[in-house]
Amino acid sequence: MSDRAMRKLREGWRIQTRVIHALIIRELHTRFGRENIGFLWIMVEPLLFAGLVAIIWRFMKGPEEHGIGIIAFVVTGYIPITLFRHGVSRSVSIFVANSSLMYHRQVKILDFVLARFAIEVIGSMMAYVFIASILVLFDEFPIPAQPGLLVAGWMLYSLFTLSLCFMVAPLSEMSEVLEKFMPVVTYVMIPFSGLFTMASWLTPTMREYLLWSPFVNAMEMMRKGIWGGQITAYYNIWNPLACSLVASMLGLALCRHVRRTLTVE
Amino acid sequence: MIVCRNIYKSYKHGASRKQVLNNVNLSIAPGDRLALLGRNGAGKSTLIKLIGGVEMPTSGRITRGMSLSWPLGFAGGFQGSLTGYDNARFISRIYDRDYKDMKAFVEDFTEMGRQLAMPVKTYSSGMRARLAFALSLAIEFDCYLIDEIILVGDQNFQRKCQYELFEKRQDRTMILASHSTEVVRQFCNRAVIINQGHATDYTDVDHAVDLYSAL
Repeated sequence: MSDRAMRKLREGWRIQTRVIHALIIRELHTRFGRENIGFLWIMVEPLLFAGLVAIIWRFMKGPEEHGIGIIAFVVTGYIPITLFRHGVSRSVSIFVANSSLMYHRQVKILDFVLARFAIEVIGSMMAYVFIASILVLFDEFPIPAQPGLLVAGWMLYSLFTLSLCFMVAPLSEMSEVLEKFMPVVTYVMIPFSGLFTMASWLTPTMREYLLWSPFVNAMEMMRKGIWGGQITAYYNIWNPLACSLVASMLGLALCRHVRRTLTVE
Repeated sequence: MIVCRNIYKSYKHGASRKQVLNNVNLSIAPGDRLALLGRNGAGKSTLIKLIGGVEMPTSGRITRGMSLSWPLGFAGGFQGSLTGYDNARFISRIYDRDYKDMKAFVEDFTEMGRQLAMPVKTYSSGMRARLAFALSLAIEFDCYLIDEIILVGDQNFQRKCQYELFEKRQDRTMILASHSTEVVRQFCNRAVIINQGHATDYTDVDHAVDLYSAL
């Protein structure tokens, strides 16, 4: 019996990975076409965004902030937040946009979310590696002191973003109001993303509040991974893990609920 | 064997609710060619979508003991902004079929030539039908779900479909929603009339067609 269940699970896994792969390619084609640099466009926007903001900050605030390079500091903050903002806004109305593909039974609604999110993650990680490599050449970015911690921070940040996408996708289906509020909410989220400051630069009370945010915890991990002993970081890996778990469970339950009533043209 | 047990389906819009299917029970054996008859809006397409798993019933259970095509109809199944080839490639990926074979079959069956390299949204409904049929015939299903679409093509396409579907694949199961009493009389061995949410099963197709015509 359990053997059969295992086989079914493996078969399901095989089908879903195939479907997600096909969806990613389809999405890249529809979004970027095949001309000029094609799918490399996925990293252009985070690159431009992080690059330009970094330059502006460099001229406004000087080369360093609290002893670390300001360009690297801004870049490490902005690329993850573009992942969050894009990931979430791409999840809005995602089921309607893809509804014609629901004619194929093996395509599950979660595949849409996973495929789009995968594109965003790949794009922002490519942008991160790309810009960091260039900055390292110009001595504006340190060689990561603890690469493992940097990767772990990225994974937690991505995981939490994904779990939010799982919630946003079905909620946008249930209420059109959400769609209108989404840009504002993601904007207001920026101060709670750990983008502008390290927790150690704040007063203890402020720090305590800010560390409730899973984003801040993951961001502190990433930056600690980059600067190592040069900075003090405050984080608790259980915060993003627990928040992701709760948000995913809620999101998956909502997806299941929405699928039952979804109308496909 | 496909079994629909106590299927209810209603759509909610704002405060109002429309009951489309009301306790439908149906079992389809391998080799059956079932016609779904009913007036516009009776729920034929809805039932096909439920059987195909595109939408979920409000309550009730559907078990599918064979491989089913996606509902072949005017809408659905394709991404309009992609070309016919891209759609074929997508479908070959998700159904795990070899794209080269599929491409060859599609080119041969649709006779659409260079049009296949154009976005699907530029296709006429007849061309969409050709593409949909070509892809689903290339994959080979046990059961085909056909929603009205068979009559949209030209003479040549209809002949091809009849040959590929009703002659070459005589052993397959088919569920066909159609208003063409001629096609139904000629090819189906069972008929179900859907009226006011209820489905009534007839083994005498001629009798069912006469009843349907009187609706």
